[in-house]
Amino acid sequence: MKTRILLPLAGMVLLAVAGCHNSVNTIENAQKEGQRQMISDQRIITDQGLAKKVSFVGINQTMTPGGLLKVQIEVLNRKRSSQRFSYQFEWFDTSGMLLNNVASPTVADEVEGGESKFISSVAPTPACRDFRVKFIEN
Amino acid sequence: MKNKILPPFLAAAISLVGAGCATNAHYVQTGGSQNVVNIGQINIQDYMQAADTMTGELLASGALDKVSNPPAVLAISRIVNNTGQQIDIDLLTKKIRIALLQSGKAVTTTVMGLGGTAEDPMAKGLQQEAEFKADQKVTRTPDFTLSGKIIQLAVKAGNTSQSTYSFQLSLTDPRSGLAVWEGEKEITKQGTRSSVGF
Repeated sequence: MKTRILLPLAGMVLLAVAGCHNSVNTIENAQKEGQRQMISDQRIITDQGLAKKVSFVGINQTMTPGGLLKVQIEVLNRKRSSQRFSYQFEWFDTSGMLLNNVASPTVADEVEGGESKFISSVAPTPACRDFRVKFIEN
Repeated sequence: MKNKILPPFLAAAISLVGAGCATNAHYVQTGGSQNVVNIGQINIQDYMQAADTMTGELLASGALDKVSNPPAVLAISRIVNNTGQQIDIDLLTKKIRIALLQSGKAVTTTVMGLGGTAEDPMAKGLQQEAEFKADQKVTRTPDFTLSGKIIQLAVKAGNTSQSTYSFQLSLTDPRSGLAVWEGEKEITKQGTRSSVGF
């Protein structure tokens, strides 16, 4: 009787554990055609737990044909479980003033265990040269 | 003795509870992570995210930079609501218009609209009067029109509900009738039935 109860229970536990540890495998071309223009960054980490699950790999930037700065940030989940997070881009003009962008949302996102992900944004005006991105755990 | 202590104590306790209830209402940042999330409705953060993504894509495409006399003039055409809920399309289009205006890449006409209706009838009247007096056309024909659709796809499995909102926009060159830029932003929300989240 005891075995009848314990066996399905063990199966459920195993399934739950397996579900928590779905990490991502990737493959890509080794000889890259495109060269990322990486830039130096400045980080302020106040949530160490989030920093492990959504760790910053680097930032690269490019200019669009219309002269707008486009920024791309690579984040990597160093853990095996998925993580929900939100981020928000803030853009600054040449005087360092924050631009009041009407559509600057806090974007909800998710990164799977072991997954590397890119998040990007385009500057709202050609005058924007500086930016800051805020990350928060959901 | 008992009667002397209890009424002031009770009054103080009640007023404290009342004060506690009064602080329940509070301000949150629009579009922030503390905003309420509904599965069956488009929330303000969804409009903001769709507008931000598609404006960024439109600006990055360089389609607006290909006009002979910049900034490009934009006219808002039909944006179909296929969601089954009553929504104000301006929650999406106004954000895009403001962002495009601030970028310096495009301006939107308010004297030309779908079916001959103008967003600003007074401006249209004054503009027609100016044209009549000058005996020549002064209005710039729009370089592009913006049209689109919002679609909702709802599915349910057991107790879990999921809604995908697809925001689709097309930028058309009216001279050629060709869509020179097209963008789509899909937002999917999932949760248990009638649940709200943050």
